[in-house]
Amino acid sequence: MSAEETFREIVDKYSERLYWHVRSLTGSHDDTDDLLQDIFLKIWKALPSFRGDSGLFTWVWRIATNEALGFLRKKKVRAALRFESLDARAERVIDSDPWFDGDSAQRKLAVAVSHLPSKQRSVFCMRYFEELSYSQIAEITGTSEGALKASYFHASQKIRDEIGDFD
Amino acid sequence: MKEKIHYSTPEAYFENLRARLQAIPAKERAGRPTAVQKVAPYIALAATFAIAFVLGGIILNKTAAPSDGQASDEEIIEYLISSDVSTLQLVDYLSYNE
Repeated sequence: MSAEETFREIVDKYSERLYWHVRSLTGSHDDTDDLLQDIFLKIWKALPSFRGDSGLFTWVWRIATNEALGFLRKKKVRAALRFESLDARAERVIDSDPWFDGDSAQRKLAVAVSHLPSKQRSVFCMRYFEELSYSQIAEITGTSEGALKASYFHASQKIRDEIGDFD
Repeated sequence: MKEKIHYSTPEAYFENLRARLQAIPAKERAGRPTAVQKVAPYIALAATFAIAFVLGGIILNKTAAPSDGQASDEEIIEYLISSDVSTLQLVDYLSYNE
């Protein structure tokens, strides 16, 4: 199979699912749309070096997660330089998002998730929204399962403290 | 996942997204520079240095103070050592010009 055929297969198989993965991290449709272009460009460029040591899913999710975390880091730095509160901004983004169709409880959850530190957020989103196993998340992030469980526990606790029970 | 996440997308977004993403390899190929395009900036830089070197040499040559035409004793000695003039020829020359 040529690189282009493999790339087409990745797009067909994963683009929609990857959209929701990135969207759960950024919260914004426009940011996700931009990021997906960058992510798939990276996938295309890195495809010749993909050796199949990890599965295709793990490899693609690793690239996407790293790209999204990099984006969130830059966003945080930009907000700090403007003396802007990222938490308040996240709430404004969700409130003004025409592509958010949740009720008030779901809005509260989205806001609480946006308040989590980015790495903790990525663990929470992959476990809670995507329902990936800890072993899958461990492969994607290169973190031990124990550390991931602790991270998920802390993230859930923070969300509960903010909005109450969310399950 | 979609049951827990309450975001939506514009109409027919995913069809459009797939089409845009599928176009990435073709776009990359079209935008990829050829070997000549890759080395062109380096050639231009080398040419700039060469021109600057030549122009600098010409300007220095024209603006340098002219010498008074008198060679120092040291320069004469250096020349004589490096040339094939024999001591006898030198003595002949000096006695002839006295």
